[in-house]
Amino acid sequence: MTESKKLSIGIDVGGTFTDFVAIDGAGRTVIAKSPSTPEDQSVGVLAGLEKLAERMESDLASLLARTERIVHGTTVATNALLERKGALTGMLTTAGHRDIVEMREGLKPDRYNLLMPPPEPLVPRDLRRPVPERIQQDGSVVTPLDEDALRQEIAVLKERGVTSVAICFLHSYRNAAHERRAAELVAEVMPEAYVSVSSTVLPQIKEYERFSTTMVNAYIGPVVRRYMDRLTGRLNGAGYDGPLYIILSHGGITEVADAIALAAGTCLSGPAGGIAGARACAGLLEARNVIPFDMGGTSTEISLITDGEVALTSERGLAGERIALRSYDILSIGAGGGSIAMNRPGTGFTVGPQSAGAVPGPACYGRGGTQATVTDANLVLGYLDATAFAGKGTLDLQAAEAAVGALGAELGLGLPETAAGIHRLINVKMADGIRLMTLRRGVDPRNYALLSFGGAAGLHAVEVAREMGVARVVVPTIASVLSAWGMLASDLRYEMSRSRPMDGQEFADETLRDVFDTLEAQARARMPGVDPASLTVERSAEMRYGEQIFEVDVPLDHIDFGAPGLVDAVTSAFHRRHEELYTFAAPDQEVDLVNARVALVGQVSRGAAAEALAAGASLPAPVGRRRVFTGGRPEEVPLYAMETLAPEHRIQGPALVEAETTTVILHRGDEATVTPQGWLDISVAAKPG
Amino acid sequence: MSDQIDPITRSVIQHRMSAIVEEMGEAMLRTAYSQILNSSRDFSMGIVDRQCRLIAQADHIPVHVGALPAAVRALEARFGDDVHEGDVFVLNDPYHGGSHLPDVTVFVPVFAGGERRLWTVVRAHVGDIGGATHGGYNPDAREIYHEGLRLPPLKLAEKGVMREDVIEMIALNVRLPREFRGDLDAIIGAGRLGRRSLDRLYGEFSADLVDRAIEEILDGAEARTRAIIEGWPDGVYEGTAYLDDDGRGRQDVAIRAAVTVDGGRIAVDLTRSDPQSESFVNSPHANTQAAVSMALAYLIDADIPKNDGVFRLIDITTKKGTIVDPEEGAPVTLSTTHPSNEIVEAMVRALQTACPQRCMGGWSRRFRISFTGQNPRNGRPFIWHMFHARPGGGASPAGDGWSGAGEWHTVGGIKFGSVEVSEARFPLFFDRHEFRPGSGGDGTYRGGLGGELDLRIEVPAYAHTAGEGARHGSAGIAGGRDGKPHDYRMVTDEGETRLATKQFGISVPEGAHFRVRSAGGGGWGDPANRRAEDRKRDEDREII
Repeated sequence: MTESKKLSIGIDVGGTFTDFVAIDGAGRTVIAKSPSTPEDQSVGVLAGLEKLAERMESDLASLLARTERIVHGTTVATNALLERKGALTGMLTTAGHRDIVEMREGLKPDRYNLLMPPPEPLVPRDLRRPVPERIQQDGSVVTPLDEDALRQEIAVLKERGVTSVAICFLHSYRNAAHERRAAELVAEVMPEAYVSVSSTVLPQIKEYERFSTTMVNAYIGPVVRRYMDRLTGRLNGAGYDGPLYIILSHGGITEVADAIALAAGTCLSGPAGGIAGARACAGLLEARNVIPFDMGGTSTEISLITDGEVALTSERGLAGERIALRSYDILSIGAGGGSIAMNRPGTGFTVGPQSAGAVPGPACYGRGGTQATVTDANLVLGYLDATAFAGKGTLDLQAAEAAVGALGAELGLGLPETAAGIHRLINVKMADGIRLMTLRRGVDPRNYALLSFGGAAGLHAVEVAREMGVARVVVPTIASVLSAWGMLASDLRYEMSRSRPMDGQEFADETLRDVFDTLEAQARARMPGVDPASLTVERSAEMRYGEQIFEVDVPLDHIDFGAPGLVDAVTSAFHRRHEELYTFAAPDQEVDLVNARVALVGQVSRGAAAEALAAGASLPAPVGRRRVFTGGRPEEVPLYAMETLAPEHRIQGPALVEAETTTVILHRGDEATVTPQGWLDISVAAKPG
Repeated sequence: MSDQIDPITRSVIQHRMSAIVEEMGEAMLRTAYSQILNSSRDFSMGIVDRQCRLIAQADHIPVHVGALPAAVRALEARFGDDVHEGDVFVLNDPYHGGSHLPDVTVFVPVFAGGERRLWTVVRAHVGDIGGATHGGYNPDAREIYHEGLRLPPLKLAEKGVMREDVIEMIALNVRLPREFRGDLDAIIGAGRLGRRSLDRLYGEFSADLVDRAIEEILDGAEARTRAIIEGWPDGVYEGTAYLDDDGRGRQDVAIRAAVTVDGGRIAVDLTRSDPQSESFVNSPHANTQAAVSMALAYLIDADIPKNDGVFRLIDITTKKGTIVDPEEGAPVTLSTTHPSNEIVEAMVRALQTACPQRCMGGWSRRFRISFTGQNPRNGRPFIWHMFHARPGGGASPAGDGWSGAGEWHTVGGIKFGSVEVSEARFPLFFDRHEFRPGSGGDGTYRGGLGGELDLRIEVPAYAHTAGEGARHGSAGIAGGRDGKPHDYRMVTDEGETRLATKQFGISVPEGAHFRVRSAGGGGWGDPANRRAEDRKRDEDREII
């Protein structure tokens, strides 16, 4: 078979649909969608692959025979954690310290709410079994591992029916011998059990973060393993024997076995695909600095791409559980098209956090919702078409007017003013999210373009951009399969980190070089099948001033690790980063390097994935006119259909552009240009006044 | 000028202001140096207007919040119109707008259209403020001069230029000048960050519009609070809470609250509280007011913004010379926790008959212990404050209390440091750090558990205590039982000693152990009504 006939397939499992994108060596792209099958996502995956084959006028076996790799994003781990449907998990932990994961560092959310019961721990106290052993901070053994006691505790877990075991001992980042031995014994006694070892999952100082991550890993590991086994079984059965890669929370892809071992790293696999897609879009547009803005019905995800790279963080969690693995830095706001607007006594006019959800949904869905939502306001303003709404059929304008009108009556405002108010306030909330993501991280949003995707984004992106002084908004038209498409542009990524508490005295060039070289060698050993020439190394360090508790993540990629003066170069990088983030640096203070981190990136994606999913285009003319409210006044504006637009067309605001999955509103002064891919590239007018 | 502002603009402005104080707090948390600030988050942010009204605050330290207006009042009284763009002010004196000396308050004025409009205020507890003992908690203090350096309202920066002479004077009077300067940078940084964001707000909305929005925001919070209080039967309700002792031989020092509910307002009469003490357990008036505000904040809906609109519904009466309103010059350092916590507890005890469904079992009292010595890890002297073995939170009609979530004044806001990091940085070894079974007060809902800490100090050192709650446990409410009180012991070759709550300079020989057992939270409701399956679960988990 010629190279150009070989296929790469991206598969993204969403809540409702599973999306498929196949790209061949020449860049030809075929997409398919198939209903998701939550009870076993692999069923939907296989069904969708058949559909894809059909669309290519082929059959499943021939399709898979042509396929050289599959990249997959899954929500199996996410759902297991959110719905608390993980494995019955036990923990073996240092005697005298078994409550670390339940103490949660002493913190309780929502400080003034004292009428709030504590959460049920993922692993209850009676399944956290104490093991006599103790290693101290320099790695030496204070209390040797009591293997008899350990065997007894393993027996207890086995008897209780535990199927997954987290092994969490103090200071194991420094000396993992006891944890390793415990893992051996568990494997001996409970060979079927999933075992998660803290020194493997996250070999870093700070026990709560390490233990919690390891516990989450153990809790969802068996679920992820079961799913992956089924999926690979089905794929193999259908004749596929190529590699299957899983996209991780940090946006890199990895082989199935690694995804099973580090299941907690797949918790944000789903959204990571979307961000990877955004990154691929940014690459196509040659936009280096982009804010992906994904606004849906109940939530909005905002992230940050600087100089072509997505910001990463290790400060996230999910469902109230701390997961300290690195992930894409995604800010999730609980607001979207379904957010409810109301007038609350004393508090006044608010939009969200309550949401109409999918049921009953906004009033205009006609499923019994009576409260005014953002979508209802958009309909009243004329931004949405009541007769054809994004695949959901017709909308009930009267119901929307009734809901928004009732709120207006309480507020003493007219119908359009109330609708405009809802629209305005949700935009302010979105802008707040962007402010958190940018200004609070020392980033000026005005140097960025907003990348709008998600069904509700188009109607808000331009106004949100204006609110933040952002001059450019891009609306790609492939939003419906963006995640699956983006995965194909992702690279293999393997991260290694090590805690190396060092203070100024032992902070020597050689020591530092050694730490990073060792990590790199370990990471390389994990990617044996990848051409070494295609591997790149990313280095970073978490650093702080001696007295601080919080570390700052300092990228070290621009530093030559072979050159003399390494320590100086690294510490000045830290001072600069600190000043960027917090307005000051203290160059005369001692600096600690807490965690060293190396990411090895293996390029497996091909340029092909970056080929456009261009919309076929011929007619530049509007398809109609619609009466909308802009700037408080009703006005007839031209209406364009995205699929009729061709590259280099220009559209002046005020205007509406309808695409398959979203509608874009342009106001006076805004101008959209159609890109070679058939996307909208909008120049946003400055804020009036 | 119309009387009404459109509801949209008002919401936008309110939203912005709370985002600004949040952002200030975040910056503070990440840049502070001292353990007390970055670990225990003992700081607060507010926006206060020229009439000394609290406009917006972030949910940080509840006892600071009601105190910020008094601080601005002292500042306005001293400087009047001598306030210019680029100025930064500071104070800490409890008799000039402060709460206790370690709480340093910094103010940055915000101007719009050449006119002064608002203050950003940052109050933060610094590691040391000079005086006879490190950290300011001096059980031996007989007058405020023993407690540290007193700063009346003064300028730290003039028209954008830092007054290095003043900063050097302060730094010279504290024990950890390096750390102090690091913290001060963080405090000023947070205040200036707030000003920068408010400048942007004034760039977008006229000052007049912002003013009117502020009035509506305050009125809204007032209306919601009023509606809640109106639901409580009118009457006079009484409650008493006790300090264990004042460290000078007086036991069971009483805080007596008579709370009058009258329509939508409450009047709190504390005049029958015991006379002031010779020791640091006195609460200066501003602090007493803040503690009463804190209690009300816990009893109303959590999402009502805590601003002047809420607090102006309270009238407080105190008598000069009592524990809750001492004569100027009396030592006060313990007051932000004790008797603040007892003031809250007396109020909740009083109101448990008026609104049992809004009352919670007692959260715990704070029993501090710190250690000083020479740190072999880096060859420098060290001070280590214990935040581990967090005591339990109170139960509530919603369920059992949070184990290890803390005291009335912290309510789950204090993060104890990582055991691994503590061992790596300090000459400490944590033999045991777990929940303390049986410590939560029984009830329909059980109080949260306290903690157990067995700690070894690897070098000879001195220990210092300052706190409460070794005699009185957290209050059981609505029929619930009290939690177990604190029990701290030092174990040496000589034997075991139970530590008093107010003791400075306990000599700790090499290899000594500390056996810390912290208090559990109070229960809620009659224990006879506790469900059998809840008792069974507690047994299985070995927590009763």
